[in-house]
Amino acid sequence: MDRIVVTGMGVISAIGNTVAENRVALMEGKCGIGRLETFPSKFAGILPVGEIRIPNHALQEQLDAYEPGVTRTSLLALYAFKEAITNSYLSIAQIATDTALIGASTVGGMCLTDEMYYDSKKGGPGSEYLSSYDYSATCMYLQKRYAINGPVNTINTACSSSANAIMYGARLIKSGKVKRAIVGGFDSLAKFTINGFNALHILSPEICTPFDADRKGLNLGEGAAFLVLEKESEVADKKIYAALSGYANSNDAFHASSLSENGEGPYTAMESALTVAKLGAGAIDFINAHGTGTENNDQVESVAMMRLFNKVPSFNSTKANIGHTLGAAGAIEAVYCILNLSEQELYPGLHFKTPISGLELQPIPFYKKATLTHVMSNSFGFGGNCSSLIFSKA
Amino acid sequence: MFYIHQTSCISPQQSFRDINLDELNVYSDQRLLAIEPGYNGIPPGVLRRMGKAVRMGVGAAMQTLQNKAAPNGIIMATANGGKEDCVKFLNQIIEYDEGLLTPINFVQSTPNAIAAQIGLLTGNHGYNITHLHLGLAFEFAVMDVVMLLEENPGNSYLLGAVDDISLYNYVFEEKDDLYKKEPLSAHLLYQTDSPGCVPGEGATMFLINGDQNGSLAKLVGVDTLHSEDPIAVKEKLQDFLRNYLPAGEVIDLLLSGENGDNRLLKYYTACESIIDEHVAIARFKHMSGEYPTAVAMGLWLCCHILQKQTIPDHMVKRATKTLYKNILIYNNFKGAQHSFMLVSIPT
Repeated sequence: MDRIVVTGMGVISAIGNTVAENRVALMEGKCGIGRLETFPSKFAGILPVGEIRIPNHALQEQLDAYEPGVTRTSLLALYAFKEAITNSYLSIAQIATDTALIGASTVGGMCLTDEMYYDSKKGGPGSEYLSSYDYSATCMYLQKRYAINGPVNTINTACSSSANAIMYGARLIKSGKVKRAIVGGFDSLAKFTINGFNALHILSPEICTPFDADRKGLNLGEGAAFLVLEKESEVADKKIYAALSGYANSNDAFHASSLSENGEGPYTAMESALTVAKLGAGAIDFINAHGTGTENNDQVESVAMMRLFNKVPSFNSTKANIGHTLGAAGAIEAVYCILNLSEQELYPGLHFKTPISGLELQPIPFYKKATLTHVMSNSFGFGGNCSSLIFSKA
Repeated sequence: MFYIHQTSCISPQQSFRDINLDELNVYSDQRLLAIEPGYNGIPPGVLRRMGKAVRMGVGAAMQTLQNKAAPNGIIMATANGGKEDCVKFLNQIIEYDEGLLTPINFVQSTPNAIAAQIGLLTGNHGYNITHLHLGLAFEFAVMDVVMLLEENPGNSYLLGAVDDISLYNYVFEEKDDLYKKEPLSAHLLYQTDSPGCVPGEGATMFLINGDQNGSLAKLVGVDTLHSEDPIAVKEKLQDFLRNYLPAGEVIDLLLSGENGDNRLLKYYTACESIIDEHVAIARFKHMSGEYPTAVAMGLWLCCHILQKQTIPDHMVKRATKTLYKNILIYNNFKGAQHSFMLVSIPT
């Protein structure tokens, strides 16, 4: 069976603007979470967030991206997209002809919360951002910029969105519809999401502490990541970073914004991903957990992991490094999993002190070299949308 | 390829439960609003909290799934679903200056809320996804189901599309010149020579599996293109027919997404130019109004036409035949997103 492999990656997050920078930061246990700075808000200077400290005008200059209506979300996406296609040696002609682009976002152009508010009022002329607010705007932007003729799609399953974009791209290749797929996610920090999660009382006033007994909630983050997926038989002598060997999507069908006590959705997503990968639970060497740092998620995810695995594998949550990047999270964490495999190393889980009582699970405390064959990445979202991906050694 | 077994459609026409398409509902206020039915089977407390998109989606889904085995997954398409709540929450943020806000609009603003609610109310733990790529959201949902059935041939899936006219998209699209400026009754849509279309809304659901027995229609193929060049669109259609129309078969009917916007006529003309003059042409945007997933109602109409072997008079642009076996749908959103579907009598 021809494997779906990763031949290119690009990532920008609060801990680095490239794959290499992100890797070094992960190795060093760097936390990129600080007080909100880049846009005016009541939460500025107070709320801890995983912010990319590059203003929009600097991103525009670096990317030569001055199209009218271009948003921060699209700029971050373009940044990671460029790295991924360069990394995979894709030509502009290849991208234009037989390549799919599958993206995911939960904020999209709503990062322009104030502009959107004024445009939503009747009367007066519209701003240059009228068609930028839509979730599809970033993929439309990349489609136009690279004249992509293959399938271009945008997917949403809330916080697991980009895991599903990765799945959809892989399935398009498997079904023979496209030769390769550039898949990923992107979201920028926005007044909209900050106020939304604040209203739900799940934002931590301090730096988040995933899987800790005293965790106080999540920190929001921003970022973008893309993977280039191709068939192993068609990559010739290109470097293969990892294979995407399993994936699944399952619904918890319990509540709009919290997970069921026994973690039916997370359990089924992980179990079904193992089935697709034709692996037993014992084959998983490491899990990049969803691990948002909320009371509900970390408890339920722990329970689901304990139900599925006789002995829970090594795990951590890199949301302690970069915050919860929502629609980008699945793709960024996929990049981190692929780094785990390609570099044969594990990164420390940050800010953890005390295990949750009765569960006694602990994220990896220190950086270490490790022999890794299969790693899993979990992403769960509002609406009970749970997804798991399994990456395997090249 | 897949087979459509059960459908339901909430639209501005009489398309739900007691179907009567021969009489066209004419709207005078420049918006084709869906006729919302009584929603049986949704707990009243839950129904009250739902926004219109979620309500129509869940209502159409419940009707489709009635007395049927639970599907193995829920695949939805929406471009505007959730945006009504999005703007309500936005208003809270600005008007209460980021103060203490109620989260209900925020939770309901996520576009996956329709698929999630259907999953929640039917206890469905299967595959659950929302495609939201604007004017091609439904086509990518269709493609998803095609692949799911290749991967799991014995399964069945709920496929659907929902979009509503909310404060959000109406004002934004109005400012973006999507709609006609002059007052217009929808039945006169194709007689105008002006820019803009008439907005509409609806929820359309399909129960799909790989079994031909008892099915209403067969989806033979789907393809998409992003382009503003009519020649590229024409070439893509030629490719599509080469790929999907079986040798010896002909297209009997072109169901065109023409929407009265004179800026888009060149694309429809380009597509019509490569089909045989014996092919009948019908239109439906005067029934559905224009919205990003309106083509789902087009697919629903194909099922209807293939079953009844008759087309309501008000839909006909060019009458040629009385037997319909293969229907080609061509749709276009804002002149930038194009799609083709081939729908046939199940054989």
